[in-house]
Amino acid sequence: MNHHGCQHLNEFKAAKGTEPFRIIHTCFIACASADARRLKAAHCRCHTCNQPAFRLHACLHCVYFGCYLDKHIQEHARSTNHNLAVDLHYGAVYCFPCGDYVYDSELEDMARSQWGKASSSLGIKERIFAPWEPNDTETELLRKNPKRRKVEVASTVGLRGLMNLGNTCFMNCIVQALIHTPVLRDYFLSDQHDCQTGVVKKCLVCEMTRLFQEFYSGVRTPHIPYRLLHLVWTNARHLAGYEQQDAHEFLIAALDVLHRHCKGSNGLNYSNPHHCNCIIDQIFTGGLQSDVTCQKCNNVSTTIDPIWDISLDLGPGPPCGNNNNSSNSSPGSGYSNSPGNYEPTSLIECLKRFTKPEHLGSSAKIKCSNCHSYQESTKQLTMKKLPIVACFHLKRFEHSTGYHKKISTFVSFPEQLDMTPFMSSSRNNNNGYCNQIVQESAKSLSCDNKYSLFAVVNHSGTIETGHYTCYIRQHKDQWFKCDDHMITNASQQEVLNSEGYLLFYHKQILEYG
Amino acid sequence: MADLQDRKMKDAAMRAKINQKLVETGERERLMELLRTRLIECGWRDQLKQHCKDIVKQKGLEHITVDDLVAEITPKGRALVPDNVKKELLQRIRTFLSKQSSV
Repeated sequence: MNHHGCQHLNEFKAAKGTEPFRIIHTCFIACASADARRLKAAHCRCHTCNQPAFRLHACLHCVYFGCYLDKHIQEHARSTNHNLAVDLHYGAVYCFPCGDYVYDSELEDMARSQWGKASSSLGIKERIFAPWEPNDTETELLRKNPKRRKVEVASTVGLRGLMNLGNTCFMNCIVQALIHTPVLRDYFLSDQHDCQTGVVKKCLVCEMTRLFQEFYSGVRTPHIPYRLLHLVWTNARHLAGYEQQDAHEFLIAALDVLHRHCKGSNGLNYSNPHHCNCIIDQIFTGGLQSDVTCQKCNNVSTTIDPIWDISLDLGPGPPCGNNNNSSNSSPGSGYSNSPGNYEPTSLIECLKRFTKPEHLGSSAKIKCSNCHSYQESTKQLTMKKLPIVACFHLKRFEHSTGYHKKISTFVSFPEQLDMTPFMSSSRNNNNGYCNQIVQESAKSLSCDNKYSLFAVVNHSGTIETGHYTCYIRQHKDQWFKCDDHMITNASQQEVLNSEGYLLFYHKQILEYG
Repeated sequence: MADLQDRKMKDAAMRAKINQKLVETGERERLMELLRTRLIECGWRDQLKQHCKDIVKQKGLEHITVDDLVAEITPKGRALVPDNVKKELLQRIRTFLSKQSSV
């Protein structure tokens, strides 16, 4: 693309300067004040047909607006010999003799700064998605590495097996799930980790960066994750050794170590653990709201805790029981809530049970902050904030008093999941919208809380000994089974029919915060 | 017949008025930003960009004009906008209008 306009534009600039363009741009294209917007709304009509048409253009020589599609601006240019016009939506300059839009870096700079002012006057954030323009270093890198790879639908890049290093399938399946977490992949492949630890070899985040490079290098032989294993052993001592480990425990430990190693790289005040801005917290942290209602005075005390995963009970469960004990700095794991004594057969049922009000009996009286007495109360858990990636942990391994067993009941889970019913806002949904239309349409359109399945970790075997495998999704709907070094095709039905131990869902729509 | 003509006129007047309100309040810019974001998210922009590149390659850079390109991609571009994006935009416009007492 030529950034020096054209002969006609240059002649115009030499004669009249950039002022005509600036005036049109500030008054009618990117308005930075309410007054300017009012003028724009009143005057942006075709001077020939009086319609507020699409693709309206303004003559750069005189005061004339005309539709491009109905050829009014073209007629004007022909009859008056005014050969330049500005598009009133985008601000691009059209040259009639050249028959094309022309680009001039001086005018573009003016336009850019004006757009910035217009956006900030409306409280719109700077455009996040400006198209990428390589800088000098990047241009140099591109020149040095002329090989380009286009990722097609049938492309298998990103799929790679992992060698089992001695009962390390618990690690391999979690690595596969993390590698195929879309937002995490985008973070690592765009090289956003800026290591502050100084010791690259000891940083798990740096190791993840290397892993992503390995997976997307196009090499098809299995990768040997010995460095990762070593880092896990040194950072999470309880997972060291060649014993069989729990994949869920590994997931939480991995997230915790990654979260700790990210610290310092985001320049934020991290003395407050709940306001960490690291990539792990951005992706995995949700907010779990707990409402405890005093049976005597109906006072509700609400607390919100950060969580990385949702652990769901499967068995009939004891009539009462709570075990929330998270006082460390990272978001806790293993929140559970098990009222009722039926066995859920679907993820939805598990979630219903998880968010059902639970009566805390006489053995678990809590001091009410309102009436200052020890009272029986009800407690309800709901999702205050949904994470970008939701991990559901089906508690298949039961370690109750006296016995340990694996629950192998089939629990169905959907490919698309709507979390709206489990949100705190659904808890008392009488308030909120009063407008009927808004409410109805909002219901059919609550895509903000919708999730898609992208990875499933399975365990086969018994509680003492077994094997972990993982299904992962590539592109939009292709599924693959990862069994250590083996990657095979899988169908979606096969995935949905699998037993399921850890279920990974990602949000369908991301909000920008 | 006169009725139909009458309604068309009224519709056009209403459209113009709504458009004016959207511009005046800056809501139009906000909607544009939302739409832009959604279209990028769902891959619409990449898809259309690729389509443009293909057309330019096929016809040759020297032989193509903006008008040709616009004429070729407009139907495809419209057809490719996902229904839920359209719905969301419509919903936002409805919400906006319900708050405007004067329209």
